[in-house]
Amino acid sequence: MSQQINGLDLAKLREIVELVSANREKAEELNVWKARVRWLGGFRGRAYIRDHSFVVDEPADLAGVDTAPNAVEYVLAALGSCLTVGFILNATKKNVKIDDLEIALEGKIDNILTFLGLSREGHPGYREIKVKLYVKTSASQEEVEEIWRETFNTSPVGNTLTRNVNIIPELSIHRP
Amino acid sequence: MAEELFPTTVVGSWPRPNWLLDYLKRKNRGEISYEEFSERADEAVLLAIKYQEDAGIDIISDGEQRRDNFYSFVADKLEGIKLMTVAEVMDYVQDKSRYEEMLRALDVPAFAIKSPVAVGPVKRKRPIALDELKFLKEHTKKKVKIPLPGPYMLTRASWIDPVSRNAYWDREELAREYIRLLREEIIALAEAGADFVQLDEPTLTEVVYGGESSQTFMCAAIFSKVDPSQELEFATELVNKVVQGISGVKLGVHVCRGNWSRREESLLRGDYAPLIPYFQEMKVDQFVLEFATQRAGELAVFKDASGIKELGLGVVNPRSDEVESPQQIVAKVSEALKYFDPEDIYLNPDCGFGTFAESPVNTARTAYQKLLAMSQAAEQLRKQYS
Repeated sequence: MSQQINGLDLAKLREIVELVSANREKAEELNVWKARVRWLGGFRGRAYIRDHSFVVDEPADLAGVDTAPNAVEYVLAALGSCLTVGFILNATKKNVKIDDLEIALEGKIDNILTFLGLSREGHPGYREIKVKLYVKTSASQEEVEEIWRETFNTSPVGNTLTRNVNIIPELSIHRP
Repeated sequence: MAEELFPTTVVGSWPRPNWLLDYLKRKNRGEISYEEFSERADEAVLLAIKYQEDAGIDIISDGEQRRDNFYSFVADKLEGIKLMTVAEVMDYVQDKSRYEEMLRALDVPAFAIKSPVAVGPVKRKRPIALDELKFLKEHTKKKVKIPLPGPYMLTRASWIDPVSRNAYWDREELAREYIRLLREEIIALAEAGADFVQLDEPTLTEVVYGGESSQTFMCAAIFSKVDPSQELEFATELVNKVVQGISGVKLGVHVCRGNWSRREESLLRGDYAPLIPYFQEMKVDQFVLEFATQRAGELAVFKDASGIKELGLGVVNPRSDEVESPQQIVAKVSEALKYFDPEDIYLNPDCGFGTFAESPVNTARTAYQKLLAMSQAAEQLRKQYS
């Protein structure tokens, strides 16, 4: 039986890494990610991603009905999830066993009034996101710090947020 | 011989040695049995006894060395109780956002806090504390105190809807089980020579001061809150049912405002005034209360509070480095003497020094110094009031 660490099959993980490194087309495929969001009425929407879907809403104090997290909260969740995956990947690569892991995030919007059209100062995006990792492991402080650093440097969502993404707006109007 | 005035005692826990924590972890991982762990803990209990005896404490405890904390340890003692992390029970929590706020305020991950949850019929697997008492009595000639988790805290902490519904119709039914188990235990403890049994009910302050939350973190309990006065009546009824008709042992109730952190701002604040009417109804001999911390308010809450027999007066703060002087302690007692007779005042710290095994609030060295100051203050007081 192949070696399992952190719930991952090491041989399988290596196989995937080898496949991607040897196969340019496969790597290119993994470079592209897609999602579609459909309006459901009010401030609600449903996101469709591959065979999955989830609802997006706004809290009641932002005129939503609070049936689901809102988009900026999903950004935090996306970052937290990305860092979780990254940390486990990097720990597993180093053969470090992780007993438990949680990431707490808190984002601060620069100026929410700009989103509501009530101000022209600043911007309605996150100005700062605090990310705290809680990890239970027997690994040394240095090892954990190294994994955490590596995780941050190689996080797709982390990099998306810290670098300027070129967002290309397009429009298609359908008449009723 | 008449009892000495101002007996000194402890609330219960003593900081565990690091080597004991290693064994505790091994026990919790299932690598060693409770019995194997307990044998190791004997040595730690001897240390806790020695410190208390050397400090001149009159009524000592075993330092709760066998317990991971003052209530979760019941998972080792009772069938039907499972230690679940907050992360595991989070799926059952309705008030998730408030819950998240509390995790952030305490700066802890959900995997770090465990709570005993009733997942099946709760039955006695081992004595809850009789083993602790027997070992303690074998190794000291001092009077001994056994702290037990109170019936309200146990019910509040372990009732998780719908997990607990596997075995119990509602939390009242679960509470009846705890009443039966605790009564049996206290009777056995009294027969085996316990001098003082203390029911720990720290969540009573959370009912009053815990805000609007339907969850509590004081004991990592998840519980749908109803009206505070109904809760306090329920708690009073449970305590009275546990102690009803039991004699031959001093019975006390300990109420504090949390002891999980040295950050005072993270602990509850507010005086005992809202609890006094319920204390007056509880048929116990003594209330073991914190008064060294300013968060507990003033002793004047006992003005006109008839029916409260004895006060276990908290005179040292278990969470601070600074050791209170005997003079400070005497001054605190002088204040209490406005409301209690000298023979009805016991001296104790506000709470334990190592409530949670892995996060003690003080070192054994400082804890010892604090107990010593308490003993010195008691001596001065005895000279003054005998």
